[in-house]
This record gives sequence, C-alpha cells and structure tokens, in this order.
Amino acid sequence: MSNYPDIPVIETRRLVLRGPEAGDYPDFKATFASYRSRFMGGPLNAYEAWMLYAAEIGHWAVRGFGMWMIHDKLTDETYGMAGGWFPAKWPEREIAWIIWPDKAGRGYALEATHAVRRRFYERQGWEGAVSYIDPKNLDSIRLAERLGCVKDREAATIDGSDAVYRHPSPSAAASGQLRDGIELEIAHYCDPMFKPKGMPID
Amino acid sequence: MSLTQAPVLDSTHLILRGPELRDFDSLAAFFADPDRAWGFGGAETRPDAWRWWACNIGHWHIHGYGYFTIEDKATGAPAGICGIWNPEGWPEPELGWVVFEGFEGRGIAHEAALRARRYAYEDLGFTTLTSNILPGNTRSVALAERLGAVFEREYDNVSMGRDMLYRHPGPDAGTDTALGRDDDGSVEAYA
Repeated sequence: MSNYPDIPVIETRRLVLRGPEAGDYPDFKATFASYRSRFMGGPLNAYEAWMLYAAEIGHWAVRGFGMWMIHDKLTDETYGMAGGWFPAKWPEREIAWIIWPDKAGRGYALEATHAVRRRFYERQGWEGAVSYIDPKNLDSIRLAERLGCVKDREAATIDGSDAVYRHPSPSAAASGQLRDGIELEIAHYCDPMFKPKGMPID
Repeated sequence: MSLTQAPVLDSTHLILRGPELRDFDSLAAFFADPDRAWGFGGAETRPDAWRWWACNIGHWHIHGYGYFTIEDKATGAPAGICGIWNPEGWPEPELGWVVFEGFEGRGIAHEAALRARRYAYEDLGFTTLTSNILPGNTRSVALAERLGAVFEREYDNVSMGRDMLYRHPGPDAGTDTALGRDDDGSVEAYA
C-alpha cells in the first residue's frame, strides 16, 4: 500500500520523519509489548498493538496530522515515533513521542519532537499544544521540561490520571533563548565525542 | 472526502464505499447501542468508537481492504458497514457486516455481504472467506447460512472470547451465489 494519506517528510540533523508504514509495524509492536509502553496504555497484546498502529495511520487521514515514524537518516532504522495526537476524548491537541527501549539516551526524542513542534507551529498554524504525561513517567517529564513545557494544573486531563504539560507558545518556542538551548543540546548528541553520563534521557 | 483508497462498489440498492468523515456519527450511534453492538464488540464509548473508526481507516492502508460504508442509494444515508477484517491475531480474513438502526428488514446486510464477498474473490483474489460470529447471535448465523456459509469450528478470539467460525463458499463453488451475482441481475437474469 502506498504511503497515503500524503504525509510530509521532515528532515533533521540525524533523522528523517516519515508517515507510519506497514513495514515499520514490527518495531512498534515490540515496543508496545514491552514494559517501555507502561505509561502509554501498554503493554499490549499483538491484537491491541496492531489496532493501535492502524489507528495511528487512520489518525492522519481523519485529522490531517498524526505521529511520524522516526528513522535514522543514514541507515533508515526506526527509533520511535513523534508527532501530534488528537483522538476523540483528548481535551487539546497533544505533541507525543515514544522511543524504542533500546534506542533511548541519544536525544532522538528531543530532536524529533522539537522538529514536529516547529512544523505544527510554523507550517500548520497551531497556536499551542500540550503533552499528557503519566506523573510517574519521569523520562517524558524531563523531556517536556527540556522542550520548555510547564505543568498546567488547571488544564483538563484525559482521565484524571495524567498531568498536562503545556508547550511554550509559538513565539516563545521561536525565541532564541529556548530554541538555541534545545538546538545546542541536540548538537551535543550529534557530536560523536559527546558521552552523556548518568541516566539516559530521551 | 474519501479517507482511504477503497473502491466504490455498486449493487442493486446499495453503494459500498470507503469510510468518510460524515459517517462517524452513525457508527458512534451504533457502537453506543449495546443491544445492537454486542455481537460486533470493540467500542463502548464515543472515544472508543473514534479509535475503532481510525483503526478501520488504517486497516485499509495496511491491508488494502477493510470495512466499507454501506450507502443506501435511495437516500444517500449510511446504512451500515460491511467488508473484510483482518487485524493481527484474527484467525483468517473475515467477511463482516453491521446494519444501522432504521435499515433492518430490507436485506441490506445480505446484499452488501454478497457484493463485498464478490469483491474479495474477484478483485482481491481471495480463495476463501470466513465470518466470526459470537454464540447467540442468531441473526448473523441466519444471514451467514443464507449466504451459503457453514459452521466450521469454535475458537477463542483474541478480542471477543469464545467465537464461532463460519466458512463461506469459495470463488469456485460453482454457484452464482458464491460470487453474489444474484443481486446485480447480470447473471441471474439468464440463469
């Protein structure tokens, strides 16, 4: 099947983001079968994972945006997904991400999420976004904060069990202070001599 | 606007086409009615229905087939869904059907299922088809039998639990019924 609906391709320094295709499903399935997915409704059995993957593709057709598959620009290997997610029941449009468990710690989520947010803000007219994060999902909370998000205690949640992190406005996200900081961090990850110590971060 | 690359299939009273945005309310209303939806399963709330609907669109993109929306030619209204369903974990590709409230008793599921089965055999090249029916769903059993399907076995469905598998006559069954030609008049008229 072709990659319909027509999903734009985003290139970053190390990554290329393309629409989810049938051939990418095994990596998605492995992640959603793993403990890694515990904050995203998993672990899922094969049927549930397949249904979710199909919904990821359908989301693009219905909403006109969705989750991109993150590929290595050179090898085409997949590392995870990042993009927009707005199914029924979601109070606001979400910027979401998931990185395969054995690909964490290299800044791929930061690089991909920074790029998709910029696209939504600058090309698709989004005026804001949130990320719904399980309060125990410390890796994702740290990523949200590195992206300049602030916890919004007043905002509606999905089901009361998630925390809402509000992304900076388009103008704040475009400001030198925030954008330069994010891009400097990404540049560190791109540097083969950069060896982060301590806990891996996405 | 079509959300898939589904073809448009024509039969006597119906059009089978891909899912469109305007179909969602009818589908959500179906899922919200437990008396109607229990045999189909899958979505108890409107958000669950949305998720299933998005999944069906993705199903079309992954497999190249899925559930059509059945459109009533006379009114243009969505009358149900019918098509081929094959998520991971399913025993085999399945011919399934749902008729929305207000459209029963007119043979719509029968006509749509015949047309979708002919599409599966002639256009997709399927060599066999099954239908999975929950024990107690007597209306669907009656329709399956009217379509020439026969009970083959019980099995445990990954989503629905204990389930019955009916097998349809194949494309070479030698009857016009197998290919659904008795609904469009093209062959039956000369039979």
